[in-house]
Amino acid sequence: MSGAIEIDWTRCDGHGLCAQLLPERITLDEHGFPVVHDRTVGDALVPHARRAVAVCPRLALRLE
Amino acid sequence: MTTTPTASPASAPPALAWGSARLLAGTSEGRADLAAHRAAHGPTHPYDVHRLTMALEAVRLLGHGGAAFPVAAKLRATPAGRRTQVVVNGSEGEPASHKDRTLMRSAPHLILDGAIAVARAVDTRHVSVVVADPAAHASLTAAVRERDDARTVRIVRHAHGYVGGEIRAVTRALSGEPAVPPGRRVLPTVHGVGGHPTFASNVETFAQIGLLLSLGVDQFASVGAADEPGTTLLTVLGDLPHPALAAGAVLEIPTGLPLALLVGSAPGPVLIGGYHGTWLDGPGSLVLSRPSLRAAGAPLNAAVVARLPETTCPLGEVTAVAGWLAEQSTGQCGPCYFGLPAVARTLHQLLRGAAVEDQALARAGLLRGRGACAHPDGASTFVGSALAVLDEEIRVHRTHGHCGRPWQGVLPTDQEGGAR
Repeated sequence: MSGAIEIDWTRCDGHGLCAQLLPERITLDEHGFPVVHDRTVGDALVPHARRAVAVCPRLALRLE
Repeated sequence: MTTTPTASPASAPPALAWGSARLLAGTSEGRADLAAHRAAHGPTHPYDVHRLTMALEAVRLLGHGGAAFPVAAKLRATPAGRRTQVVVNGSEGEPASHKDRTLMRSAPHLILDGAIAVARAVDTRHVSVVVADPAAHASLTAAVRERDDARTVRIVRHAHGYVGGEIRAVTRALSGEPAVPPGRRVLPTVHGVGGHPTFASNVETFAQIGLLLSLGVDQFASVGAADEPGTTLLTVLGDLPHPALAAGAVLEIPTGLPLALLVGSAPGPVLIGGYHGTWLDGPGSLVLSRPSLRAAGAPLNAAVVARLPETTCPLGEVTAVAGWLAEQSTGQCGPCYFGLPAVARTLHQLLRGAAVEDQALARAGLLRGRGACAHPDGASTFVGSALAVLDEEIRVHRTHGHCGRPWQGVLPTDQEGGAR
């Protein structure tokens, strides 16, 4: 099961939890908003990506 | 005193055609009323949806807004039905662009011909024309009253700025929602005005459709480039080697014209596409057609072509536009709302001679793909390509803290189209 990271930028408030839970794919810019370096998420990372999606306070992060 | 809208109010650049005037036919004396329009273009021939799609495909018509999407494909993707909507986007929020308002002020009936033909083809009567410019609004409102086949055409005042003119923002505004792009990807042809399928395109696209219906495929395609037959409107400004274009102009040209014919062949900063556009060092061997410019990495976008005169500070021009772009953020998306002002600040530092070129490039690069609409991407392209072309200019600023030239505001940053 692989997937692709999607961010609804109109929802994201830059809480930054995603970068802590999925540092392999997401870092934060100087203003605290996520920078996705590679949208694709392979099998090994899917559980971590799901966790990041689940804890996003603004429901801005999706795995498609 | 009553005022009738004319082709060239005091604030507007002159409109002229190189080669045959087609979109601008019948407008040399000003606004073409219905009689003047019919005299110039003749009657339109009704096309059913199949024939219209085939004709659009045969002439390879692309959208004349910014995205240059194939119009035949868009029509094919629009389900027919009484609830289907047709939206004519005349918001033209780009301060340097005047071609849409020129067309609306001078040839409103050509636009309506196209819009009504599309509406008939998809079995609907719902047509909305969204306009920001007051003279264009008056011209279209009068045009709707002049003809008897436009009773269900709504002329809607648009007051939502640059990003609010993005087509999904326009369809949301027409639905009574906030005039901002939605956070999730939706296609107007699937979920447009009021949730109904919507065929939405730029005013010039509809005028081109009107023209196609009066000329037929063969005559429409008898001029222009093979990859995009016909003519196109441009807004041109800056230092152009033609006296008639000295004050800027809205220009109708056959597609396929070498860019060097328009802007001269010398090197120097040339902007293609407007404030989401691309800077080039001279015209090279580029030709003016949407497919070839896109392939060359400098898409025609809003069809603004500018060459900066040597009397203005080019870095100052770019910095002023970057500041304007930052002001246009609707504040919906953090990377744009915080990132664009950061880019503008970095350019200001660069202007004063700070060695922050890498930082400017990095900040501009980070904007890409991080917003609900293409605004951050467009700003990224504008700034990133400027930094590449202005390499030598930036070195001069670093050495002296300035380049010795004043900022003249050749690139307008207000809606009137003049310098601030």
